[in-house]
Amino acid sequence: MKILFGVILAILVVASIGTYLSYPDTRSEVPVIYWVTDRNPARVEQVKRFHAWLEKNGHVDEQGRPLAELRLDMANRDQAKQIIQTVSGVASDVLDVGGGQAMRLFQRMEVIRDVTDAGLELGFDPSQTYRALEPDITLDGRQYMFPCNVSVRVLWVNEDLFKELGLEPVPDRWTVEEFERRGKEFMERANPPGTRPGDRRFFANFIDPEIIHRGMGVSVFNETLTASDLNDPRYISGLKLNYKWIYEDNILPTPDDTSAFVAEQGYGGPALSLFGSGNYALVSGGRYFLIRFREFDNLGQLRVVELPHGGFPNTIIATRAAVVYAGSDYPELAKLFLAYLASEDYNELIIEDADALPPNPAFTSSEAFLRPPDHPNEWGVHGRFVEMAEEIAIPRAYSPFVLSSVVNNRVNEYRDLYFADQITAEEAARRTAEEINTAIQDEIERKPELKPLYDERVALQAKIDAAFAEGRKVPEAWVLNPFYRQYYASKGMLILEELGDPAAASDAVPQDTAGGNTR
Amino acid sequence: MTRDRRNFISGIAFLTPNILGVLTFVVFPVVFSFYMAFTNWDLTLHNQFKEDASIQFIGLDNFIELVTGDRFPRFLGNTLFFMMGIPFSVAASLIAAMLLSSDTRAGGGRNYLYLLSVIGLVAGVSLLSVLGMGSTAMTILLVGAAAGILLAGVTGGLTFYRTLFYTPHFVAGVATFILWKQLYAAKTGPVNLSLEPALSGLGGVVNTTPPAIYSTLFWVGLVLMLGLFYWGSAKLRRMLVDGDLGKGAAVVPFGLLLIPVVVGCIWGMTSHAWWLLSIGAVAILAYHAWVYSQRTDRFPAKASEGFGSGFVIALMVLVGQFVLLGLAPVFGALPAMADTTTGTGDGLTPPSWLTDVSWAKPALMIMGFWAAIGSNNMLLYLAALTNVPGELYEASNIDGASPLQRFWNVTWPQLAPTTFFILVMSTIAGLQGGFEMARVMTQGGPAGATTTLSYFIYEEGFETGRLGYASAVAWTLFLLIFSVTLFNWKFGNKYVND
Repeated sequence: MKILFGVILAILVVASIGTYLSYPDTRSEVPVIYWVTDRNPARVEQVKRFHAWLEKNGHVDEQGRPLAELRLDMANRDQAKQIIQTVSGVASDVLDVGGGQAMRLFQRMEVIRDVTDAGLELGFDPSQTYRALEPDITLDGRQYMFPCNVSVRVLWVNEDLFKELGLEPVPDRWTVEEFERRGKEFMERANPPGTRPGDRRFFANFIDPEIIHRGMGVSVFNETLTASDLNDPRYISGLKLNYKWIYEDNILPTPDDTSAFVAEQGYGGPALSLFGSGNYALVSGGRYFLIRFREFDNLGQLRVVELPHGGFPNTIIATRAAVVYAGSDYPELAKLFLAYLASEDYNELIIEDADALPPNPAFTSSEAFLRPPDHPNEWGVHGRFVEMAEEIAIPRAYSPFVLSSVVNNRVNEYRDLYFADQITAEEAARRTAEEINTAIQDEIERKPELKPLYDERVALQAKIDAAFAEGRKVPEAWVLNPFYRQYYASKGMLILEELGDPAAASDAVPQDTAGGNTR
Repeated sequence: MTRDRRNFISGIAFLTPNILGVLTFVVFPVVFSFYMAFTNWDLTLHNQFKEDASIQFIGLDNFIELVTGDRFPRFLGNTLFFMMGIPFSVAASLIAAMLLSSDTRAGGGRNYLYLLSVIGLVAGVSLLSVLGMGSTAMTILLVGAAAGILLAGVTGGLTFYRTLFYTPHFVAGVATFILWKQLYAAKTGPVNLSLEPALSGLGGVVNTTPPAIYSTLFWVGLVLMLGLFYWGSAKLRRMLVDGDLGKGAAVVPFGLLLIPVVVGCIWGMTSHAWWLLSIGAVAILAYHAWVYSQRTDRFPAKASEGFGSGFVIALMVLVGQFVLLGLAPVFGALPAMADTTTGTGDGLTPPSWLTDVSWAKPALMIMGFWAAIGSNNMLLYLAALTNVPGELYEASNIDGASPLQRFWNVTWPQLAPTTFFILVMSTIAGLQGGFEMARVMTQGGPAGATTTLSYFIYEEGFETGRLGYASAVAWTLFLLIFSVTLFNWKFGNKYVND
């Protein structure tokens, strides 16, 4: 038995060595860096182009070989896996993260590197991407990531469907009232009596509630990100409007309507197939939807329009971005990858594949981007994305005093309860704000090192409130919530030039926008 | 080196890989997580990349937060709600096992019965179709499936049915959950497509029946609940009289029986009937107290005697009381729900199973119930049924026992050890379970309605990084399971052996 055991052990050892030696992928003559990203066939070409970019830009060793070999890790994109791997010291060198929310979590954990200096040196600093994205990719003035691609939320329009139903085209910018009016008109024409649930047509698949309440002038957090602003009549109006569109007017599908459809899932979800089949006249999403749309045979002229607004046109800008792992053996090589993301070589690929917007807007004025020769039905679309990114796009607000996952959880939970008729919209707003504020206090109690910053911000908030109450403008630098910064700027409530002394806030705020609900 | 010593070393060498594996991957994490439950371990504060990453001992803070916060009690409530399905699941497994113990291919008589059932089914549906009812594709599909199953039973017999019933157990969990998600689709799912004609018919009946009948049914439901309360408390009283239950041990079971009454008095749907419930409950308790005081033949018992038996009986009655309490307002609300003319209701429509806060939990319970019928529990019962001595049945036959008496006095007592084992295992699984189905089917929603403790542990540990707190939740769950199991062993075992 002992001999048998020994023989089996020896065979296993020999087989392991044999496997290792005969598996060429495990060996490389240059340092290997790994990139955790999603399962997308386009990544293979992006990796190939990275190696070529290294050579082209002189990042080679003495033998003229690229300084690094980049390999894909598509199995660990899930955030829970990334958390475990990063804190355990075994994560990949470059990680794709789902934007500012995830970056802030990893930064708090200190498992990612500050790339501010490298960004300036290698040319991937925040000025190399959309201005609106700066608050998303930086934290306290330091840069931690660079976008792989950029998503601006728009409404895609199925122009042919409107023509077919004899309806006038929807405008580029519209109010919530007009959206509702057009929606009802569409539903009446598109769904004759007796339409089966699985064949029903809807005006749009979904409208992001955050865009609606921001359009009415209220954000999840206050100006200094120290408390929730959601217990506000404007948030309540936004909730009610969403409820009305879904459950009363039914211009947006209920979850039951959605489950009634039999649609191919694919990249971007079933909504895209349903847009292609004419079940949705409008579909909410980004430029990356084109990856699927290009697979559809009968999709006519495409157009994108803004999401409806309640007074302040806005949309959400977000990014899938790359961060450098703090435990990387080759951080300098990983930073080169971020520089590659800002390069023409990479941006060209994103433009070709229509994988959202290219991270560097410098390449969005090219003919290849604006008028791709193989897709004339898209020519009116690409430029609009860039315009929206520059004019009305604002990233989500994140507070340093509470995790975004906790905030999203509370917001969704009470919205669900309101949508299920379990509580009123007023109660939903009150309880959401209360719970977020409780979570903030709990976090500060658990992490006393946050207390000084919190107290400082609360004092600043008091100054802002006092200034608005007295009808005065406040310096732009006081407002830390990116939404309010843009909102107040549009209302003329900010002192835009740099002021040495924040207490110098003195200019009068126009009476119709000062303080109270119009804040 | 002696032979014994050599053998010992060889044995250890063989066992070492396994022992090391258990120590590294089981014992160490368990001990470590116990320690961590008393610390502030938070991945955003403590990991190898943090300069000051010393984890602090915070005593019982995590446990205090857990009890004082509103999320843990809520998700514990969800878990316990799902566990209310356990008695029904066990009963269903037993019924399935008993059905599968009887030969379906035994002879001409039974075959004729099966064929007759099929003909009856087909004829019934054909008639309904001719009359314009029941002609939906789903009804025909279901009837066709039922007929097919009956016919296959005639030829395949027991083997066919046993395979069919055991299917849920060997189908991968996630695949089953996705299948059920489709079955539950509110507008196109087979469940609602089957319910639609039935509810529509029922709606018609309700609309043509005087509403007073339904409001009466509401009161009847509450009276039945009080009836169950009477039955349960009478049972406990008799145990007190017979010396099977001590006075001290009777407090908790009586308290359990009162819970549904109290809930009924404060619950919005039934609170207007508080006077009936409170007067009824007080009157019943007063009556039992009076009867008890009049009995002079009471057997003495220790104060703690019979706690387990009393507790189990009260728990069973409590589940029944809650079922009746839930059904009563449904009857009361039927006319308003079915009314399509006044705008107060939109007819009787099937529920939005997975997206409605009120229906999501029952939907997952029904799915669990389906899975439990054809689970290992059924196999255990099948095995146990074959071990019941035939002579006991023969004796009961000679005594002229009816099938029900045979079951109650022979089968059920003989199955007691198996039932006990199944209940213990189901309780443990119930407290630990719910993660997969919540993750796949509802993501814990809507509004946290299907978030169980195991899902909560995952959320706290891997979404917010609070591993200390998540460990505290895990250990609280362990304590809960351990206490319940200990209770089961201490009292249930005795009950079985008696």
